Amino acid sequence: MTALQASPPRPSSLRRWLSLLGPYLLLAPGLIWLVYFFVWPAAQMFLMAVSSGSLDNGFKLTWTLTPLHDALFNFPTQWSHSLLYGAISTSLDFLIGFPVAYTIAFRGGRYKNLLLFLVIAPFFTSFLIRTISWQILLGDEGPILSFLKHTLGVVPEEFSILYSPFAVIAGLTYNFLPFMILPLYVALEKIDPALLEASGDLYGGRWQTFRKVTFPLALPGVFAGTILTFIPTMGDYVNAELLGSPQTRMIGNVIQGRFLQTNDYPIASALSFVLMAGILLAVFIYARALGTEDLTG
Amino acid sequence: MSEHDQPLPRFNAELTRRRFLQGSALAGFGAFLAACGASTGGGESPTPAGSVFVPTAPPVATAAPSTAPTPLPSPTGPLKFANWPAYIDLAGKAGTAGVYAPGSSPTIEQFKKKYGVDVDYEEKIEDNKTFYATIQPQLQAGTATGWDLIVITDWLAAKVISKNWAEQIIPADVPNAVANLQDSLKGRVWDANNDYHYPWQSGMTGIGFNTNDLKAAGITPPTSLQELWAIKPSKVSFLTESRDTFGLGLLKLGKSADPAQTTTDDLQAVHDDIKPLVTQGLIFAGNEYLENFAAKKTWAAMVWSGDLASSGTAGDTFQVPDEGVMIWTDNMVIPKGAVNKYTAELMINFVYDPKIAAQIEDYVYYVCPVKGADVEIKKIDPSAATNPLIFPTPDMVAKYHNFQFLSDDLETALDNLYLDLTGG
Repeated sequence: MTALQASPPRPSSLRRWLSLLGPYLLLAPGLIWLVYFFVWPAAQMFLMAVSSGSLDNGFKLTWTLTPLHDALFNFPTQWSHSLLYGAISTSLDFLIGFPVAYTIAFRGGRYKNLLLFLVIAPFFTSFLIRTISWQILLGDEGPILSFLKHTLGVVPEEFSILYSPFAVIAGLTYNFLPFMILPLYVALEKIDPALLEASGDLYGGRWQTFRKVTFPLALPGVFAGTILTFIPTMGDYVNAELLGSPQTRMIGNVIQGRFLQTNDYPIASALSFVLMAGILLAVFIYARALGTEDLTG
Repeated sequence: MSEHDQPLPRFNAELTRRRFLQGSALAGFGAFLAACGASTGGGESPTPAGSVFVPTAPPVATAAPSTAPTPLPSPTGPLKFANWPAYIDLAGKAGTAGVYAPGSSPTIEQFKKKYGVDVDYEEKIEDNKTFYATIQPQLQAGTATGWDLIVITDWLAAKVISKNWAEQIIPADVPNAVANLQDSLKGRVWDANNDYHYPWQSGMTGIGFNTNDLKAAGITPPTSLQELWAIKPSKVSFLTESRDTFGLGLLKLGKSADPAQTTTDDLQAVHDDIKPLVTQGLIFAGNEYLENFAAKKTWAAMVWSGDLASSGTAGDTFQVPDEGVMIWTDNMVIPKGAVNKYTAELMINFVYDPKIAAQIEDYVYYVCPVKGADVEIKKIDPSAATNPLIFPTPDMVAKYHNFQFLSDDLETALDNLYLDLTGG
């Protein structure tokens, strides 16, 4: 210690370099990861989207815009399904998730951890198995419909849910619900109960307190939750594949089909690129609309 | 798994295999991982513990014709053998699970023992296109693929052979195969003299239904494609394998299902014929049709014969349509640059021994390409010997149509029309 006092830290050139580079060195693992697994593949995907050729004869970079044009304009039904199903299931997730997160955060008490565990528990089972289980749940003679048809007799014999848009939305809503609940919970959990009490002291009713205090403070969670739910639902193809029919296909199914069935890599890449760019743009607009500075803090 | 209970162990096996054939990517990925995990122990001793069988073939090397002018090369290994999941006889736990593990296939163990060479058998092929994408760059570049023997469906075998990407099979090395190949499988246009391929298994594509369920629903069992088309579309499924669906579609329209005669207009006509059914609720299924049958979601469907042969559910029926039936074959091919080419030939020869073929057939339940296997299988499973789905009757054989080897134009048209039907 005395030695340090004797010679106060003189910034040697090495040290200056270190202090300059330090943040970057600390960021390096993450940056390398991002560049190698995100930036580079994304660039490759874009280059493939402007290439032409076939798997048999090889793909050549020709800077053609045909794949991108086709990706944008040739699949209106599937694009609209993706948007529609994504929006509906995100909204449903919010409507289901908010009360759940609220209850866990404010009324969970000593069961908080157990309740949170229950939210995450389905993740211990494979995504595929969970979705295939919905085939059984929603089947014509599954537990729900057979009860409604035979026990209660309120639904006609011919009524069917599986392979309809309803089944796809149900699957999407179920599969991505935890992505909504967890960020909402984190945001709600951070709210200081004293603020709610203060609202009460200032004659704020329950509804007013919720509208003016709780909900605005939970907005970062709402933002994160909707983004985390909407993005994967937009690109999902498993639910539409397993629970839907040819009439409920989403853009993810098109990408899968072009990639694996026709080995048309350019159009598959163009579709993926458009999907990614569109989502980035939407997130950007959404963030601007909600005002991120207040949200991410 | 849903309600269709007491399936034979091999039921699951079939499910796995066909599931891959229809190319369900995620499911394929899962089992791909499983397959990777199960097949990492290739380098062990040729006689691992358990399931060691006395070789059924005489000790004299059957591969050696007595008039061989030059001394035969000696087998080298390990033989790198890529096949579809649950597509070879599996014993014990592996048999129940339908996933190969080193030492679990009597046929492989007998081969290893007989020739003293190791076999690295891997269930690496989930569907033709995905597998092709993994070997195509090497073949194109003229380097080895890492495989000595692969099992691919007709159209892909035809493509690989037409590009001169397959090693020629020397007839003298495979006398069993030359002698025992079923006549109905000879003379394929793309390799008429079997210079480059020998069939591994075949399967038929026709109409499937459960007689009991149809009776309950008040429907007459369809015997023709016309009748299948007439059933309420929301209770019917067609196949996710586009060649099967369009092949049967051609026959339904009274058109030839010979790819040499078919035009893109014909395919368009099939598409236009099926499209209205899709808007009325027709779905496309791989072998999940079995689950849909069990759940009474589907009354009748286009199905693969092997699934019905092994489903074990009472009333499950495979119907050869009046108009004809699709036949497809998965073929053993030695890719160009194979390191252990001679050993691969020995393997082809080995599985064309009727005894070995019967042993494989009694597990996989597909259409057997080997003459004499029906006699051999009687000794181990008499009921299988008379099963027309394993050993089709001459009437059935007469109705075979092979809609597999398509020109590039036809294939592109087919892919696009199929994707349009399925909404992809």
